[in-house]
Amino acid sequence: MDRLTRTLSSVFTYAFLGIMAFLSIFPFIWMILGATNTSIDIVKGKVGIGSALMDNIRAFAAAVDVPLIFWNSIKIALLSTALTLIVASLAGYGFEVFRSKYRERVYSAILLTLMVPFAALMIPLFIMMGKLGLIDTHWAVILPTLGSAFVIFYFRQSTKAFPSELRDAARVDGLKEWQIFLLIYVPVMRSTYAAAFIIVFMASWNNYLWPLIVLQSNEMKTITLVVSSMASAYYPDFGAVMVSAILATLPTLVVFFVMQRQFVQGMIGSIK
Amino acid sequence: MATSELSLKSVRKTFGALEVIKGVDLEIEKGEFTVFVGPSGCGKSTLLRMIAGLEDISSGELEISGQRMNETDPSKRGIAMVFQSYALYPHLTVRQNMGFALRFAGVPKAEIEKQVMDAARILELEKLLDRRPKALSGGQRQRVAIGRAIVRHPKVFLFDEPLSNLDAELRVHMRVEIAKLHKKLGATVVYVTHDQVEAMTLADKIVVLRDGRIEQVGSPLQLYSDPDNRFVAGFIGSPKMNFLPATAVTNNGQPSIRLDASGIVLPAGHLATGLADGTRLVAGLRPEIFKDGGDSSLLLDIEMVEHLGSETLVHARSGETLVTVKYSGIRPMKDGETVRAEFDAANVLFFGADDQRIR
Repeated sequence: MDRLTRTLSSVFTYAFLGIMAFLSIFPFIWMILGATNTSIDIVKGKVGIGSALMDNIRAFAAAVDVPLIFWNSIKIALLSTALTLIVASLAGYGFEVFRSKYRERVYSAILLTLMVPFAALMIPLFIMMGKLGLIDTHWAVILPTLGSAFVIFYFRQSTKAFPSELRDAARVDGLKEWQIFLLIYVPVMRSTYAAAFIIVFMASWNNYLWPLIVLQSNEMKTITLVVSSMASAYYPDFGAVMVSAILATLPTLVVFFVMQRQFVQGMIGSIK
Repeated sequence: MATSELSLKSVRKTFGALEVIKGVDLEIEKGEFTVFVGPSGCGKSTLLRMIAGLEDISSGELEISGQRMNETDPSKRGIAMVFQSYALYPHLTVRQNMGFALRFAGVPKAEIEKQVMDAARILELEKLLDRRPKALSGGQRQRVAIGRAIVRHPKVFLFDEPLSNLDAELRVHMRVEIAKLHKKLGATVVYVTHDQVEAMTLADKIVVLRDGRIEQVGSPLQLYSDPDNRFVAGFIGSPKMNFLPATAVTNNGQPSIRLDASGIVLPAGHLATGLADGTRLVAGLRPEIFKDGGDSSLLLDIEMVEHLGSETLVHARSGETLVTVKYSGIRPMKDGETVRAEFDAANVLFFGADDQRIR
């Protein structure tokens, strides 16, 4: 009886996990299969390998300047990620390491910004970017992401695992505060940086709403905007849309799989 | 005449309204091995960090080799510090860890290499120089931490509970290593520990701290045999000194002291302090003063006996007071027995109601 219960329990567990795994992976499979089919076959719901892959690629390449939109996306994602990591790690380190009467108040105020929905920020941000003359530039996409409260929070929490004795040892060894940060903290916390890199890079790469508002000319647009605009055309070519979706997904997948180990390590704690 | 290498004059430390170091005066001679001991929260590590420059000095003077160092940067004080958690840089090799401070002091590469090799030879670390800290055992990491201190040729070595993270066996081994190293280098050392065995075995001078104040400074044996107060008497020595309530009386016209629980009377003629009859006191009896053939004795009800082979520890009661007796060798004693434990009255110390020693 007991054995039967255990077997049944395993069967249900694996069945549930199987269904969930299928639901997660199906859109990817469908995207890849769709890229090989014609738009009509996709609309009909054909799930199978077709022969229209090269036609779809050609259609996609004819519709958009692929290298340019890729370059735009990569430039924005890398700059956003690098600058966010610099700002947030400096802030997280500072909040954790330096004592001040106002430290917790300022920190709480920053965390409170997490509660403000982006929809409420769009108009003030747009006006701000307009006044700075940055509308329709990539800086308008990059700048608002830099002071990310979530990434600051993440770095502060991770810094709690950074041994204070390392900082003391470095001070005795004659390092200035900026040298301690650069030469000790950064290399020691590299797993934390890797995890933050993946989170911020993916968020930045997939960012849609804000770029849609501030990037107006075609030569400034990112791949997510292009995918979306192709899908919402009057007669969308779903084959080309699937090709563009694959290209849009590829970099984040590569980044994730390349840095997967550091990501997991960063999530469970950098210091061993 | 010995020169004072490190001097603290009325040194205080406050965190807001809280005063954690309450006026410390201390002179440490060149080449001396000084150990700060005290219970948790007594301020010993804070005091060490103030010497290192890792904590500001709120008031008072710190001098190293006769120079005021209150505001001097830690790296320019002529100190090197060994931390409890070793504090080795995990991303650097042993060689890079040991040479790190010299690199930042602008020492030429060849000279750094020579210094690192010299220190590695002393500490037998030559084969480990290209390893990262995570590939080392606890004892090896601690040796690297000591090596990192040695290469700086400091005037004063500061050790902050360096053996606390090691297992018991390795701790004993490293203790001997540190003692040997001190002899070899002849360096001035300030060492913080809460382990009084470490303090007794390593120190030339022990500084007992409590609640941010120095309770007593002296050699290990001085503190053991001639403590100034009940705190020091209780802190130094293992197992702890037994404290029994007592009262000053006159016995056969002689000044005497009666142990309240047992009623036995001990002579007090040797005490310089005159005690009025009825004065409340505390008698301090170290567990190891008990021996066969003593001139006085206590009747004890045994609660538990620990047979350790080389010694026998007896936990017993004299009236309401718990008493520990340490006999050398094996004793055929059992739980629940009543025994007469003998000792020499001259070995008993007395403390007043204010816990200060009555001599």
